[in-house]
Amino acid sequence: MIRTLLTISLFALAAPAFAQDNTAHNSSTSYGSGSHFGDQGADHAGHDHKADDHASHTMVSDLALTRTPEIDAALAAGGEPVVVKVLGAVCDFCATAMNKTFGRRDDVSAVHVDLDAKTLNLVLIPGAEMDDKRLRKLVKKSGYKADDIARGAALSQR
Amino acid sequence: MLGKALIILGLLAVTDAAHARPVSYAGGWTVMEETDRGASAAIIHYSPSAFYSVGVKADWDRRNDLLFTGGQLTWLAKRWFGEDYQANLYIWGAAGIAKGIDDNPGEEQLAGQIGVMADWETRRWFLGYRAAGRDYGSLDASAFHAAKVGVAPYIGDTGDLHTWLMVEVDQRPELRDTVGVTPMIRFFKGEALLEAGWSLTDDQPLLNFQYRF
Repeated sequence: MIRTLLTISLFALAAPAFAQDNTAHNSSTSYGSGSHFGDQGADHAGHDHKADDHASHTMVSDLALTRTPEIDAALAAGGEPVVVKVLGAVCDFCATAMNKTFGRRDDVSAVHVDLDAKTLNLVLIPGAEMDDKRLRKLVKKSGYKADDIARGAALSQR
Repeated sequence: MLGKALIILGLLAVTDAAHARPVSYAGGWTVMEETDRGASAAIIHYSPSAFYSVGVKADWDRRNDLLFTGGQLTWLAKRWFGEDYQANLYIWGAAGIAKGIDDNPGEEQLAGQIGVMADWETRRWFLGYRAAGRDYGSLDASAFHAAKVGVAPYIGDTGDLHTWLMVEVDQRPELRDTVGVTPMIRFFKGEALLEAGWSLTDDQPLLNFQYRF
């Protein structure tokens, strides 16, 4: 049994290095819920996209707006897109937390968390405002931490 | 007796989060069912903030025919964020009533439980540790700890079915087989998580379920 515990300990010690390597170079995902355009074939956020990837990201600096039917509909209605880089978003519970926190707000018309890109994608209702301080507070309320924030019409037009 | 349990927990110290997160987003509810080689528990939590939750639980010790019912407070003491990882440290305590059931004639006692959980995970790897102790008055006083390691064979995106292959090793000093090994598979989709495994030590099932809303 001691041998088993030692093996697990060694495995645990080695895990971080493998994890970083895999995240940075080897992740290749089939997308189900989101779609990303505009940079097919590019390696953004550490992920190589498959040739049949519908995914659509519109790039601003390092951030890209992940497009879903709900995001597109909200943009078509004249809403302002916002993309937030989120630290610590590694599982569906993280996505659920942010989807619930932002999805129930009256000033948000569409929300999507992209685990691959590690971003929170929002479209505000036309005329609504949500400053960076407020955004960061809401991400914190979800249990996570906001990093970079990009917003505005340019985000959806590039 | 509770003091002894606290000392044991302190000695066991901290590193991983075996069962998925007991604290949700502000305003979120979590329903949890946990069955391992020694016990089954049902817990429902409400998180007033992203840093603590309050809930009620029923915990059935199948080996000793003991039932604990009470309230639980869980505190997310620390969360570490990285671009590709997340790590958490939780401390929890529960107070309530314990009593013997079935073949155990033990009468109701004021009872308490306390524990720590810690985890580190990326989208590929998971490491967890938990330790807990209990004081059921004249009925029982004991502690255990467990470590879990997992790997995701593929990386799923938001809303996909996520799959994890995991192994948990637990130590329960009061049992004949003090160290138990339980391989399991975890399925994770949206708001629901299911873990199913089998204790190689005791030929007992492991079944954990969690749902958030």
